[in-house]
Amino acid sequence: MWIVTSPRPGIVHLEFDGGDALDTANAAEAKTSALAAISGAKQAAVDLAPVEFIDSSGLSVLVAIYKSARARGARLRFHGVRPGVRAVLEIIRLDRIFEITDDAVEARG
Amino acid sequence: MTRHELLARISNAETETILPDLAELCRLHEVGLDLIERSHDLDELLDRVIDEYERRLSALPAAVLDRRSADRAPESLRQLKALVMFATQATALKEKALAAQELKRKSRMLEEANARLDGVLAALSSGIVVLAADGTVVRANAAARHLLGDVDAPGWSRALRDGIAAGADGEMALTVPAHGAVTVLVSRRPIPDSPGSEVVLVTDITKRTRDAEERVRLEKLAEVMKTLAVLSHKINNPLTALLGRAQILSARKVDDPQVMKAAAVIEESSQRIAQLIRELSAVVREGKHDAIEAVLRMPMESAREDA
Repeated sequence: MWIVTSPRPGIVHLEFDGGDALDTANAAEAKTSALAAISGAKQAAVDLAPVEFIDSSGLSVLVAIYKSARARGARLRFHGVRPGVRAVLEIIRLDRIFEITDDAVEARG
Repeated sequence: MTRHELLARISNAETETILPDLAELCRLHEVGLDLIERSHDLDELLDRVIDEYERRLSALPAAVLDRRSADRAPESLRQLKALVMFATQATALKEKALAAQELKRKSRMLEEANARLDGVLAALSSGIVVLAADGTVVRANAAARHLLGDVDAPGWSRALRDGIAAGADGEMALTVPAHGAVTVLVSRRPIPDSPGSEVVLVTDITKRTRDAEERVRLEKLAEVMKTLAVLSHKINNPLTALLGRAQILSARKVDDPQVMKAAAVIEESSQRIAQLIRELSAVVREGKHDAIEAVLRMPMESAREDA
């Protein structure tokens, strides 16, 4: 569901690999695997570039991994957010809650 | 009645039939108040916001955010509207909390800078006083308080402003209860970007002034002693001759009694002068300054007594 890389200890990069949608169909699996991937990270970058569609289940996944990172004092940033997904985030103002950047290098710290 | 009980009471089943969204509005209101209460702490606020997002998103029909979906059921739309209302308030409060956090950070930095400045001022041996535009003392280090006593009293800054021009240096003679008379060197300097306020550097030069005065006194005294030595020497030669002649006259036993009487007076007076010269020479030789000063004062005191 995610391509996970760790360039340095404590730093994790996740790239969505579950198709072009993050929705009811794959949200549960995406959530479980993402939470496992970032569990030991102090810094995480989540690449959403492949995601063209997201529904409330998909949003729940993003909220869950953001919450998990925060709870451990880790920093989590999203990048590669496509316009359709960004529009949804903007509607419910999550774009102003999450850390989102257009720059993958910046997101990866 | 608690806020929660009040909200529960007005959003009961009966009122819900009249206003279908009342329960949700009450819930939003309650969440909003809760967020406001937590908005003093960004982390606490975000934790609560994320929890609320999680709760609302899990309850939201998945398709309601899909433009292609036909799910536009009133209940779904109501939930989405409530989510947007909550999110709008949450993000506004987050920004407020961010600003408050930044303000706190800057305030902390300012406090640290102030503490550092206090430390630096306390370490200085010279007195530093910061004056506001109206002359009130904003800050004074330990050295200034030790040297000047009650610097907060208005009289001090008034005397300073009367005595020394703004931006200038000068000396001030003060009487401080703890030290008595002190002489201080004062430098008044304006503080940039703070119109009217100034920093005043105060250095105790009481000892320096006293040392300088003592040096001048000793120099004068040395001159006086040198003059006395020269005078003693120059008086002594003619005096010896005078005394010798008077003694010769006395030894010859001249018949004229007036001559003999005059010779005796000359001899006696010469002896007295010689004794005085010897005493003065001894004083000069032994460097008895106090005795010299006493001698120097004598004619003036005598003159005053005569007057």
